[in-house]
Amino acid sequence: MTIAQQTTVAAVRTLVVQHLNLALPEGRPAEDDDLWKLGMTSLSCLGLMLAIEDEFDIELAQDALKEATFQNLATISAAVDAVLN
Amino acid sequence: MSATIEKPDVRPAQADVLIVGNGALGLFLARELSAAGAGSVVVVGPADRSSGGSQAAGAMMGCFAEATSESLRTQPARTRFELGVAAHERWPAVLAALQEHAPGGRPLLTAPETHVVLNSIGAELDNVNLAAIINALTEYGKPWQECDPHDIPGFNPRTDTRALRAILLPEEGAVDARAVLTALQADLLASGVTLLDASVRTLLGDSDSVTGAELDDGHVIEAGKVVVAAGALSESVLKTLIPDLDLVPTFAGLGFAMIARRTGGEPFRSVVRTPNRGFACGLHVVPQADGTEYYGATNRLVDEVGSTTWMADVRFLAQYSMQQLDERAASHEVVRWLAGNRPVTLDGFPLIGWLPRAGLYLMSGTYRDGFHCAPLLAAHVANELQGKPGLIDPIFQPTRRPVATRTVEGSIQEYVEHNLAGWFETGAQAAPQLTTRQIADYYRNMATQFYERVGTDYALGPDILWYAQGSLVGGRRVARYLRRLQPAAAGTGAL
Ligand SMILES: Cc1cc2nc3c(=O)[nH]c(=O)nc-3n(C[C@H](O)[C@H](O)[C@H](O)COP(=O)(O)OP(=O)(O)OC[C@H]3O[C@@H](n4cnc5c(N)ncnc54)[C@H](O)[C@@H]3O)c2cc1C
Repeated sequence: MTIAQQTTVAAVRTLVVQHLNLALPEGRPAEDDDLWKLGMTSLSCLGLMLAIEDEFDIELAQDALKEATFQNLATISAAVDAVLN
Repeated sequence: MSATIEKPDVRPAQADVLIVGNGALGLFLARELSAAGAGSVVVVGPADRSSGGSQAAGAMMGCFAEATSESLRTQPARTRFELGVAAHERWPAVLAALQEHAPGGRPLLTAPETHVVLNSIGAELDNVNLAAIINALTEYGKPWQECDPHDIPGFNPRTDTRALRAILLPEEGAVDARAVLTALQADLLASGVTLLDASVRTLLGDSDSVTGAELDDGHVIEAGKVVVAAGALSESVLKTLIPDLDLVPTFAGLGFAMIARRTGGEPFRSVVRTPNRGFACGLHVVPQADGTEYYGATNRLVDEVGSTTWMADVRFLAQYSMQQLDERAASHEVVRWLAGNRPVTLDGFPLIGWLPRAGLYLMSGTYRDGFHCAPLLAAHVANELQGKPGLIDPIFQPTRRPVATRTVEGSIQEYVEHNLAGWFETGAQAAPQLTTRQIADYYRNMATQFYERVGTDYALGPDILWYAQGSLVGGRRVARYLRRLQPAAAGTGAL
């Protein structure tokens, strides 16, 4: 994993913890932890998506706006990096 | 219908007015312009009107039967309501003129009157809206009467959803939408209007004005005036010329309906419907010109214009038509499935007016009653295009700030009521311990959270709220637009 990708994951993690209201140890959720199973709802996902776009100053592709993109930190970060690169 | 569309060997390269879209609005406008001698008129649109609203419409000529508790509560809503009242008066003359072109000579007006039924499966919202209908009729001095549900021709619901009350609106009926569109086309061809079976790929022009349009096969038509009446696709057509157009956002309200041939029992002779309910226009049956019956309609805001039908919607319509309208419908033969997109706006008001490019005009955003309003809107737009005074209120200007008619608290309450109505109509089963108030709390919580997360004080209608909180695409569009609208409030939510 490149440094840029690690940075994306870390920034996404911060937003996820904030928007899902999670109380987890440092470095959690893991990259492949299923966020829906951690209690993400369609509404918290909407808030998270908006926050991610604000934070990275990007617009995610319309076809990325689906459940699967927000499955875990890795999938979200991949969608973000796809726009950034 | 395609047989009547002209395919000239030499397609016009110029027009005085080019109309993009061949739904009710585009065709009625062409008719007005032609009657006014406003020069050459070309209408572009695919002959099958794929996914357009007009070809799928029940074409109830309803305005009072459509009334809800919102209709007369605020001045802008009242202005919108009165658009329907004024449009209604135009139909007798329209039908008299078009009847000679009616397919098979059958009457275009297929039902002279409407019965609104209050049945036991409707939630409190039905009571509220029936009261609103009666209030509106009374206030505007229109005739109506109570009637015995048993006396409504064709009406034969299951006992569990029987009507407890019914009223007759003797002046509101329905036309056969598809027959009217065919008659309109014949009328236009007879009066020299060119109808092209094609789509516009891009509008042409510069930063000052529109100069015409390019069709999907590259053919160019130059025109000094271009009217976009492409239904739910209007916004995307406009963005081909003005990518950053600051329009009130529009959405597609996908609706599904069925046309069935009756195999027994007494036919319906009037429109029979519930009040508006659960985000949609209520359940209704509309007699058609050829003796078939139209059963409609669902309404779901979707990310993209299309004509997909969901199993859930097929079930909804089939089951509730059998249950609530006529149990014999079970053995009717479905002869046609209709799916079409209503042009919906964020604030629920139409988009009618000039755009920031000289010569470019938009007529859309009519949502549930665009067929009914079309003759009036067409007369208004024809006037404006000719530099004459318009006929309707200027509040429908497309680049307005969204019209505000509710408070956030009112919006949340309305959202709860619509969801409860949907919940009970669909027979959703809940554990007996779960009370209506608890279900209401659930929906209230959803709506409250939405407003918190988006951080806006612009209050949305229940249908837009439902869409925005359930779709990431819709939620993003609504949230971004509302935040742009109120820069001061941006970022103040729970984001
Ligand atoms: C199921 C259903 C039931 C309804 N029931 C009623 C009712 O009972 N009463 C009532 O008054 N209203 C009803 N409506 C609403 C009504 O249908 C709409 O408000 C109205 O028809 C909109 O008309 P329009 O001409 O603006 O758009 P449309 O009818 O959508 O027409 C737009 C046309 O533009 C064409 N087009 C799109 N893109 C392009 C392009 N790029 N180039 C050229 N052409 C293009 C489309 O193919 C379409 O034919 C109903 C709608 C639905 C879906």
